[in-house]
Amino acid sequence: MRRLSNQTEKLKLFFKLLFSHRMGLSGFSIILLFVFVSVFAPLLATDDPSRSGEFENILLSPSSQFWFGTDDLARDVWSQILYGARVSLTVGFIAAFITVVTGTLVGLVAGYYGKLVEELLMRIVDFFMMLPELPLMIVLAAVLGPSMWNIIFVVSLVSWPTTARVVRSQVLSLKERPFVEASRCIGAGNVKLMFGEILPNVVPLMFAQAVIMITEAIYAEAVLSFLGLGDPTSISWGMMLHFAFESGVMARALWWVMPPIFSIVALIVSFSLLGTAISDILEPGYKEQKGY
Amino acid sequence: MVGRKNKHTALVVCLMGICILVLTFSGNVLAKSKKARLSVGFTTEEALANLQTGEAWQYTEMGAVFWPLVYDQLWILGPPPNYDPLPMLATRWETEDFQTWRFYLQKNAKFHDGKPVKAADVAFTLWYLPKSDPSWDFPDNDIESKKLIKVIDDYTIEFTLVNKWPGKYPPASWMPILPEHIWKPHKRKLTRFKNEKAIGSGPFKLKKFKGGEYIWMVKNEDYWGEKPYVDEVVFKSFGGQDALNLALKKGEVEFIGYNGASPLSVEDFKKTKNVDVAVSPGIELVWIAFNLHKKTAIQDKVVRQAIMYGVNRDRIIKMVYLGYAKPADSFIYPELPEHNPNLPQYDYNPDVAKKMLNDAGYVDKDGDGIRNDPKTGQDIVLEFLVPSDWPQEVKMAKLIREQVKDIGIEVKMKVVDLDTYYEFIYTPTDDKFDLSISAEEPGPNGSWIWEFVRSFEGGGKGWNQSYYNNPKFDEFLESYLTETDSAKRKEFAYKLQEIIAEDLPCALLVRPDLIGPYRTDKLEGHVETMGGFSNWINSWSYFKIKPKE
Amino acid sequence: MGLRGFIFRKIVAACLTIVAIVCVNFAIFRMAPGDPIRMMFRDPRVSAENLQLMKEKFGLDKPLSGQFVAYVKGLTRGDLGLSFSHRRPVLEVIAEKIPPTLLLVITALVIAVFLGVVLGALAGWRSGTRFDTFILTASLTMYSIPTFALGIIFLLIFAYHIAIFPLGGIVTPASGFEGFELVRDVLWHMFLPAISIVIWYVGEYVLLTRSSMIDVMGQEYITTARAKGLKNFRILKRHALRNALLPVVTITGVNLGFAVAGVIEAETVFSWPGVGRLVYDAVSKRDYPLLQGVFLLFAFSVVTANLIIDLIYGYIDPRIKVRS
Repeated sequence: MRRLSNQTEKLKLFFKLLFSHRMGLSGFSIILLFVFVSVFAPLLATDDPSRSGEFENILLSPSSQFWFGTDDLARDVWSQILYGARVSLTVGFIAAFITVVTGTLVGLVAGYYGKLVEELLMRIVDFFMMLPELPLMIVLAAVLGPSMWNIIFVVSLVSWPTTARVVRSQVLSLKERPFVEASRCIGAGNVKLMFGEILPNVVPLMFAQAVIMITEAIYAEAVLSFLGLGDPTSISWGMMLHFAFESGVMARALWWVMPPIFSIVALIVSFSLLGTAISDILEPGYKEQKGY
Repeated sequence: MVGRKNKHTALVVCLMGICILVLTFSGNVLAKSKKARLSVGFTTEEALANLQTGEAWQYTEMGAVFWPLVYDQLWILGPPPNYDPLPMLATRWETEDFQTWRFYLQKNAKFHDGKPVKAADVAFTLWYLPKSDPSWDFPDNDIESKKLIKVIDDYTIEFTLVNKWPGKYPPASWMPILPEHIWKPHKRKLTRFKNEKAIGSGPFKLKKFKGGEYIWMVKNEDYWGEKPYVDEVVFKSFGGQDALNLALKKGEVEFIGYNGASPLSVEDFKKTKNVDVAVSPGIELVWIAFNLHKKTAIQDKVVRQAIMYGVNRDRIIKMVYLGYAKPADSFIYPELPEHNPNLPQYDYNPDVAKKMLNDAGYVDKDGDGIRNDPKTGQDIVLEFLVPSDWPQEVKMAKLIREQVKDIGIEVKMKVVDLDTYYEFIYTPTDDKFDLSISAEEPGPNGSWIWEFVRSFEGGGKGWNQSYYNNPKFDEFLESYLTETDSAKRKEFAYKLQEIIAEDLPCALLVRPDLIGPYRTDKLEGHVETMGGFSNWINSWSYFKIKPKE
Repeated sequence: MGLRGFIFRKIVAACLTIVAIVCVNFAIFRMAPGDPIRMMFRDPRVSAENLQLMKEKFGLDKPLSGQFVAYVKGLTRGDLGLSFSHRRPVLEVIAEKIPPTLLLVITALVIAVFLGVVLGALAGWRSGTRFDTFILTASLTMYSIPTFALGIIFLLIFAYHIAIFPLGGIVTPASGFEGFELVRDVLWHMFLPAISIVIWYVGEYVLLTRSSMIDVMGQEYITTARAKGLKNFRILKRHALRNALLPVVTITGVNLGFAVAGVIEAETVFSWPGVGRLVYDAVSKRDYPLLQGVFLLFAFSVVTANLIIDLIYGYIDPRIKVRS
């Protein structure tokens, strides 16, 4: 794998390829929209979704005052969607970050050092991969209590092994490459080799993994909140669905149910599209194919 | 080319197969039955989980609704307005000292397997059933030794309680009489017996039981007493309130078996053809328990009273219950004769609240909007404990927090899971909360509710959520519980309510209504009590309901 | 080492995993807040002496190591403890719910794998065409919709507003149906939850088969076969599909974890009386023994299924047989 000398050049090329990829472009744009929405939620919201509203406004269908109607506590659904974006994105990004960093570290060390270290670490990874994800997350979340941080912790705990395994495979093949040999001959130590030579080449893979992990995290938060394991005082799309399902009036209040579902799906789809684009771009020969 | 055609054929075949499948299943035709059937809906699977006895089961759906249909009790709580105890398996009872009781039984009662019901069965039940589960420690079935239960003859039984049981109601409330010949082999482990046939002596017999899904009962044609007027009763479980509501609208159930519907659905039901809504006063009482052990401003009665003046009950009733609740001021329901009509009412008045606090020295010294405790100089910040599993109470707590903030006291929500809640609230000495939401269903004969305010030393440990410690009150309570003359009892009752309303260890808030939607097209004769048509004090609807002419 | 060695190693690994799962299961639930005896008798009116008796009866007064030993002993006897909410042994409660879940999962899986592999293979074979892009986008979308969300949408549309399917459950209560009528009733109830699970699965299998197919198609032996002039379909069958299926088989094992997720969600939304629905109920009632038992069951099934898949893989993959 030829290393491009300039990091910014690499980045620029990456984005050029991404934007010319149909799926990548659409995915990225939707994500950007959601990020924008969550950052500017206080400006875009028409109401304070954390305070219960007036009695007369309970379960209203969409109107000019409440664009997406209200829920059973007279809270504006539109505003809840906006603030909910924050939760989904925060949980998604943080959990993915922790997952990828942990997984990469483990995979790097295991792949590089090999032998006993690798055996031990991979046994742990295998063990985790054997466990069914959702039940484990449910059990941990139930035991730890309802909170967003617990969800982030639980999701990361369950997801890092996949990244570790993927990174290790790549490290194994990278280890034998000539440029690594070359550096070793010059006298570079283990740590320098790991982090200086191998890691930079693993970075694209890390990004691909990160995107996958984000979708997993967003989905996990939605499911766990829906099942009632999320923080009841926070506003998240999954929690909205949980309350709607439990309220007994879900069938009558489609405006309460559809927006969170569409938002969750849109966000996950957009990350999936981005992920597909990234994995296409990383395919050897792709940039040559596109004429770069 | 060959490949493509094969693939296309395969797809077409699949699609056709799916169409055929869908057409076969669409529309489900239930065999039209000539029998009069009462179908009742329950919201969860656990509602119809099993036929066994178990811990606190008289408050579960099975215990409350199923068991009283299939099993007889000695006596049964009558319908309003008086809720008098009515004879059931026992034709009459007598006592001289309220400690030794003699019950005379029906002579022609039979179990569903044909065997007669005798005093021996009652003796067996009286001894083994309460012992089978540690939470059945009620004074009205507390018998010290087997020797104190005497079978005088086949239809007469006498037993002596550990303590006197005066008052309107005889002892051994809610005790389904078990057939000794079936339960005897399991007497050491009553709660483990699966009871698959559920043989009782009641007006309905079990036909089929599908745990978690449905229970199918039929009329007991050989019932010794007044036979029911419907041929079948079916309990159906649904996955949630939505499904249950729709089932009621479609005619799949006649009414809801326990707990009723959400206030949000009332309008919808009223608009539905052949469906009407009965709004009954509820059994549940909700109050705020103040932790009098924790050394905060809460220990000052003035602060507690001021907080109650600051609480807007009407708004809570409107916002949380959509108007379907009544304010509560006492542990005794207003429609009962022992209710004290002259209790201090803490009607919403934030100005009075503020004045009280100002006069008592709780002023905001540092200008942050929160009053300061003159003893410590600190802001008054209180922890409000609420279980996350009770959504309405969580909503209520949020509103109370807003209202109390308005009179200058900061309240922090402490929302925990149910188990942690119970752990914290029953050990006020651990100081894990300043105030808490609490709720119970005492019912018309629930004098045990007073244990919640009996002092720890006086025996209230394990019950007393507020660590209320008033020896004078304890004395009155003892007098009330042991007084045999009803007029004197009423006086004591008045006094008890007065003291609590003044001292406010527990500040009663609301009594949520029970919303009971029901169908009007096929059956009539529903009997309404507090808590609706179908609950642990009311099986009358099942006994009296009949097909419309 | 060959095939036998491979099998042996896999079985040992599976056993060790199960042992580790048992330990983890025990540890997690001891972390749970609250006193387990208190939870069983949530009525505060239980006297302190009675609580102590109960503690002794359930062996909870012993130190943690003693409790662990008792727990493992219990497991070997099939005693998974007592469910708080059902007041019956956990094993009993779970055992009743297994058949409906198996019915749902197997049906959904069979349909999904068949559809997914067929569509995925076609899309991969025709990579780059409009058909492929359409299948790809459709699959990505299907794969992105959480099963519970899809279930809610189906429930609202087909069970509420256009009421052609029931609201939930597995049979019409107290119907008296027997034989063919009963089968029809069950199938009618199973349709929506199965479809909810299938859609997600098809999405995934299409994506997998397609990419695996593309990988294989890029291999040299395919170009060789093409150059030899064999008819397209035979190439597909003989070379590409066989090799493309290998990763699919592996992934099926890994995916059993996802199967579990889909089942939990679908059963919750449609009140299907299976093990997945038990999870939701156990969580809402904080019934830890039940949750613990269900988790053990799921973990155990996934490990076993993975083992079987690994063994099948070992059988199919010629490279493993050769290794010695």
